[in-house]
Amino acid sequence: MDPAVVDAASQVFLDPVVWTAIVASAIYGVFVGAVPGLTATMAMALLVPLTYWLPPLPALAAVVTMVACAIFAGDIPTILLRIPGTPASAAYADLGSGLAARGRADSALVTALISSVAGGLFGSIVLIFLGSQLAQVGTLFSPAEHFWLYVLGLTCAVVVSQGAPIKGALAVLFGLLVSTVGLSAVHAQSRFTFGNPELYQGIGFIPAMIGLFGVSEVFKNLLTMVPEAEQQSSGISEDRISSPGHPLNEVPEAIRRVIRRPFASLRSGAVGALIGMLPGAGADIASWVSLGIGRQSNTPLSESDDEAALDRLGTATTANSSALAGAWIPALILGIPGDSVTAIVIGVLMMKDLTPGPEIFEKQATLVYGLYLIFILANLVLLPIGLAAIKAGGLVLRVPKRILMPVILLFCVLGSYAINGSTFDIGVMLVFGLVGFFLERRAIPLGPVVLGIILGGPLEERLIQVLTAADGSPIAFVDRWPARILVGLWVLLLMVAVIRPGRWRSQETRQEGL
Amino acid sequence: MTHRARLPYWLLGLLVVVGCSEGEHYPDRPIMLICPWSAGGGTDTVSRTVAALLERDLGVPVNVVNATGGSGVTGHTRGALAPADGYTLTMVTVELNMLHWRGLTNITPDDFRPLMLLNRDDAALFVRDDAPWQSLAELKEEVSAQPRALRASGTAQGGIWHVSLAGWLNAEGLDAGDILWIPINGAGPSLDALMSGGVEMVCCSLPEASALLESGRIRCLGVMASERVEGFPEVPTFQEKGSDWTMGGWRGLALPLDVPEDRAELLEAAVEQVIQSDDYLAFMASTGFNVSPAGPEAFRAIMEGFDQQMGEILTGEAFQSVRSTRYGPMIFPTILFASLALVLLILVVRGGLRRSVDSPRLDRDGMARMGVALAFVLGYLILASRLGYVITATILLLAMLLSLRVKWSVALAVALLLAPMSYQVFAVVLRVPLPWGWLGW
Repeated sequence: MDPAVVDAASQVFLDPVVWTAIVASAIYGVFVGAVPGLTATMAMALLVPLTYWLPPLPALAAVVTMVACAIFAGDIPTILLRIPGTPASAAYADLGSGLAARGRADSALVTALISSVAGGLFGSIVLIFLGSQLAQVGTLFSPAEHFWLYVLGLTCAVVVSQGAPIKGALAVLFGLLVSTVGLSAVHAQSRFTFGNPELYQGIGFIPAMIGLFGVSEVFKNLLTMVPEAEQQSSGISEDRISSPGHPLNEVPEAIRRVIRRPFASLRSGAVGALIGMLPGAGADIASWVSLGIGRQSNTPLSESDDEAALDRLGTATTANSSALAGAWIPALILGIPGDSVTAIVIGVLMMKDLTPGPEIFEKQATLVYGLYLIFILANLVLLPIGLAAIKAGGLVLRVPKRILMPVILLFCVLGSYAINGSTFDIGVMLVFGLVGFFLERRAIPLGPVVLGIILGGPLEERLIQVLTAADGSPIAFVDRWPARILVGLWVLLLMVAVIRPGRWRSQETRQEGL
Repeated sequence: MTHRARLPYWLLGLLVVVGCSEGEHYPDRPIMLICPWSAGGGTDTVSRTVAALLERDLGVPVNVVNATGGSGVTGHTRGALAPADGYTLTMVTVELNMLHWRGLTNITPDDFRPLMLLNRDDAALFVRDDAPWQSLAELKEEVSAQPRALRASGTAQGGIWHVSLAGWLNAEGLDAGDILWIPINGAGPSLDALMSGGVEMVCCSLPEASALLESGRIRCLGVMASERVEGFPEVPTFQEKGSDWTMGGWRGLALPLDVPEDRAELLEAAVEQVIQSDDYLAFMASTGFNVSPAGPEAFRAIMEGFDQQMGEILTGEAFQSVRSTRYGPMIFPTILFASLALVLLILVVRGGLRRSVDSPRLDRDGMARMGVALAFVLGYLILASRLGYVITATILLLAMLLSLRVKWSVALAVALLLAPMSYQVFAVVLRVPLPWGWLGW
């Protein structure tokens, strides 16, 4: 065995500082992920001053573990309260909360946990064994390919959203339009600001997401709340959302679920890792695309089928966790950050006099192997900590709604404010709470709105870039072979969605209640 | 005396203690450092380092807030308009010299009291290692032989690196548009485009490109500085290559105007101590940021110099023509509006916009409860900045719980427990600058 590997193992396993960093950042990550509005990027930025005083390995351990735990913890409020803790969870907010509403909250949460662990491990293995080879794939992506990737992600959001696809399209377009408010990133000119300087910053997707899901959920619950007097007279309390069970009992079933469909699990892991490693794409697109692909290849099952819903939830959570490790591939091997988290990581590495790039494997073999071990460890540590978090999350549901709703509202306010320290964002949250409430009453899905707001800026950027570079020729969108492959995938996705008219019709009738 | 009867005295005592500590000495509460750029970027990293070290010297928390958006408009505006009490600092950047020339804001360097210039990162020009141009002269030859054939990036249209490159072309007697500028947000994605062949060159600062530079995948044709940059001794300057052009970004700390002079001086001394500390110098050296300190007066002079230079470039005819691209800001929204209209039309025709049957009815009691939630958020917006977070949260929670007919005792317990607890978590642990009121928090 390579002496560097032995060396790395001893540094990781025998150092109490590494262990402390892993456990502490796992707990921190679970908290940050579970509170909507607190993002992994913000949590990372808070860790940075701490990493000055830590040696490189514990510093990296803290980062890796924190992010892995945060992305799973985002699923907890998504499933229990239908408020996505992270944007990556918005893709399956309806799916997960539907399960919880039917009393399967524990199954859904444990499935999400086990699939996250599996996805995280899969992504780590891809990073370890294929990282160097795959890093070259990223360099094939010019603006045209990015453009198509975003289109693919948005189309998946339309195809998989519950309800009629045309309403999904409406939601995506609305989200994209919202993203154009403010100063356009490409031209640096103001649009739809109506002379209001506050609007220059644009509409942030975090406060918008908290409003769309969180505040609208509070509104909905308040609307349907059963007066206490009636409750007492009927003798049953319908005030609580659902009663928590025993998450531990669900673990074997959740593991079987991952193993039973090896192809589907591997596929979403691969989709996640591939999308994660592309700069400008991340865990949020990965969840949607994985759901989109799953939707096409599965035999159509009715929405209320819990087993099918759990399977789909599993594939999406596998993909977004796998995407995290994927994002490290370009960062570590090329020195190009794939997202804001890895941008901070590169900063931390440079601070420790470690320059990411191809030579990091020769110069810093021990550190790289140590990092690999940490990736595996972080995902294993997630298992017990995640179970504890699920248990704790269940306790929240014991609180009666009339007490829970004001508290959730306070946390929505805090979460919207936290991201930018701006009271304007609280206003955005409130407006989108009302928007979400009314969209929902018309059965228009909310998840695609969030993806639209996230991808609107990058999509426009790529569109203008391609047009500028090609001097207006639309051929530029399809004159490279990687772009053609993506266009092919996109057409395939559209075709499969269209040639299944049965699905369109059944959805339509259900919506109109005929 | 019973427990209950003692309570008012305790509260009164607390009030006196808190009230007395107010304003007696500065600083006695957390300071906010506004960073106009997002977490993870260079300005953010410098801000957080300075904040961590300032905190050690001042003895109060220094919290970094990323007031992002609008290409820096948001952060700079908020910094300039913040209360002049010495509790808000801004990490101002070169965009302060640019935004007002482009009509994006009224805020100019004159709206700040400069505190300290921290660093200057000069613009540098990068090409792939397999690029045919070995020197700046060869590149210039190619550009003048074949204008508009080469593409460059590094930032958005009209950003600092765009201005740097366009200014160099101007200085060489070429047209600012002779190298096509592809607007890509940020140096990282631009370098990515350089590697994938989307552009032929990138203009950005040396530290932003150092990972690729050190691994030999890109070459630097030169840096737009008057002398070679520390940490990159092998990179020639434009001056050595026969061009007088210099340009680059800078970062510095500034206060709103009218901050009491004693507070400003105290901060100045603290910042001075920070930038001379070994920790700071070690950090700047390891990240490759060029240390270039300058006190308030020198900083002001530098800003004025930049402002004049930027005004010439940004309002010049050559640059105006570059900025008015064929693919204007309304193309994308127009496409979206058209698609949205089409989708809406289909939906209306098919009657898909009717309320779905399983959505709950809007009855009067329910609407009233929703109104309470609305009032909760609006109440927070109105009260928090006056009363401070903890008091506002307690009042609002209590009011909303009571309106939902929760028992008095339970409501009081929840409100009194949660308000300070959430304050601890968000303001103390997570460093979110929650509103400060007349009782302190």
